[in-house]
Amino acid sequence: MLEISSLGKVYESRGRRVEAIGSITFGVGSGELVCVVGPSGCGKTTLLRCIAGLLPASAGEVRVAGVPVTGPPPNMAVVFQEYGRSLFPWMTVRENVELPLKEKRLPAGRRRELVGESLTAVGLIEAAEAHPWQLSGGMQQRVAIARAVAYEPQVLLMDEPFAAVDAQTRADLEDLILRLWRDLGVTTLFVTHDIDEAVYLGQRVIVLSSSPTTVMEDLKIDLPAERDQVATRSLPRFGELRGHVYRQIQRARGTR
Amino acid sequence: MRVVRLLALPVLLVLAWWAVSGSSFYLPSPDRVGRAFAETWFSERLVLDVLPSVGRLLAGYVLAGLLGVGLGVLIGLSRRLRATLEPVLEFFRAIPPPVLVPLIMLLAGIDTPMKVLVIVSGCVWPILLNTVEGVRALDEVLSDTCRMYGVRGASRMRRFVLRGASPQIMAGLRQALSIGIILMVISEMFASSSGLGFTIVLFQRQFQIAEMWSGILLLGLLGLALSVLFRGVERRVLSWYYGSGAERA
Ligand SMILES: Nc1ncnc2c1ncn2[C@@H]1O[C@H](COP(=O)(O)OP(=O)(O)OP(=O)(O)O)[C@@H](O)[C@H]1O
Ligand SMILES: [Mg+2]
Repeated sequence: MLEISSLGKVYESRGRRVEAIGSITFGVGSGELVCVVGPSGCGKTTLLRCIAGLLPASAGEVRVAGVPVTGPPPNMAVVFQEYGRSLFPWMTVRENVELPLKEKRLPAGRRRELVGESLTAVGLIEAAEAHPWQLSGGMQQRVAIARAVAYEPQVLLMDEPFAAVDAQTRADLEDLILRLWRDLGVTTLFVTHDIDEAVYLGQRVIVLSSSPTTVMEDLKIDLPAERDQVATRSLPRFGELRGHVYRQIQRARGTR
Repeated sequence: MRVVRLLALPVLLVLAWWAVSGSSFYLPSPDRVGRAFAETWFSERLVLDVLPSVGRLLAGYVLAGLLGVGLGVLIGLSRRLRATLEPVLEFFRAIPPPVLVPLIMLLAGIDTPMKVLVIVSGCVWPILLNTVEGVRALDEVLSDTCRMYGVRGASRMRRFVLRGASPQIMAGLRQALSIGIILMVISEMFASSSGLGFTIVLFQRQFQIAEMWSGILLLGLLGLALSVLFRGVERRVLSWYYGSGAERA
């Protein structure tokens, strides 16, 4: 579904040249949930923006369902790292979720249905008429997720969506993502710097080196498909995988 | 209680006025000015002088608004245009608009088009520059969000660009309103035969002092009414902005 081949990105501005991504190659199968971990500043956001077609790559290419990405593909949704800033403050929660559907020219009835379903799924149907700034950070993040889900994308990209919420909310949101992913069968790429989160959520975990970034490891997570915050995290295998990724990241930072 | 607080200062001012009035020929008492006000303005002058003035003010203001916001959006969205134009714009903004009146008279005569043009020439700059600033400062994450979810063209303009820049646009419009009133009066003081500004100067020349004061009073009331009206509109348009507490940041 998603093929990233020899992707490279160099930021060039006057007198400064940052090689953010060296060369990254990996794929994501249809309906898969893959997590990308890497040290802070290694180019995770850059990678995501290249995949989303928001940033032109310097080398290599990205294909979505076989089609090379040159601009934002119509069947893709993104949940940004700065979720608070990704919601329109002059619109209500409902309007925020509905806007992309309007642009898709869906009939009003279908729009109402999708907005209702997605807000119910994230537990925010009561807050539909509120404005984003009247909500807590975690609630805002759920609005951004609801908007992405209502859009019915084939590919969902998420950039450290839970970096700014407390541990309990984070656990709830993780389970929400798992549930939505299972229900919708949407191909998902989840970027995080949290190793536990990556191992808990992913079917695979891609470990990135520090920049100029390459793929250090493409790790299959052989945990039972049914994940549970307490049971899964206390499995011995979970600890092993976590430790493994942790050591890889340590190595990644060491090679800088 | 609110009414008392609202009216306390105006009442005090009128009392003070009363106390000092009469000391000079040029300072008639409030009741004389009040009488002059009723006689002067609740007459055909309302139709012949006041309404045309206000009409020109609104015409100039609306034109300046359309021009300022339109050009401001174009310039704000294009980095290259901005870099080229910004110094020039600052120069034009720095020219006090009244000095343009003689020039505009040469170009557009002394009738309504000249007066409207004078108002436009002064009002357009704060609107334009504030719009450029507002559009330039639009949130990049929101812009990416629009791209990602297919919000483009007219919809992007209406739902993102104009709404996002509306706090700055409204600030520009507010500055322009007071400039507009000043220019409305000034444009009528040059080579004119009607209008509020003309009438006030006429009274002054004919030593109709109470009438002259009543004209000044009328201008003050007009300004007050327009700014109250503006605040009402602003509150409605920017309710999200005040609610989000951004103006305190
Ligand atoms: N617009 C830009 N211009 C120049 N350099 C940039 C730009 N954006 C990012 N960089 C650089 O590219 C590198 C990767 O940045 P990026 O934001 O992709 O990292 P990240 O992995 O998402 O970090 P974090 O975990 O903190 O979100 C950094 O060294 C950063 O300084
Ligand atoms: Mg990032």
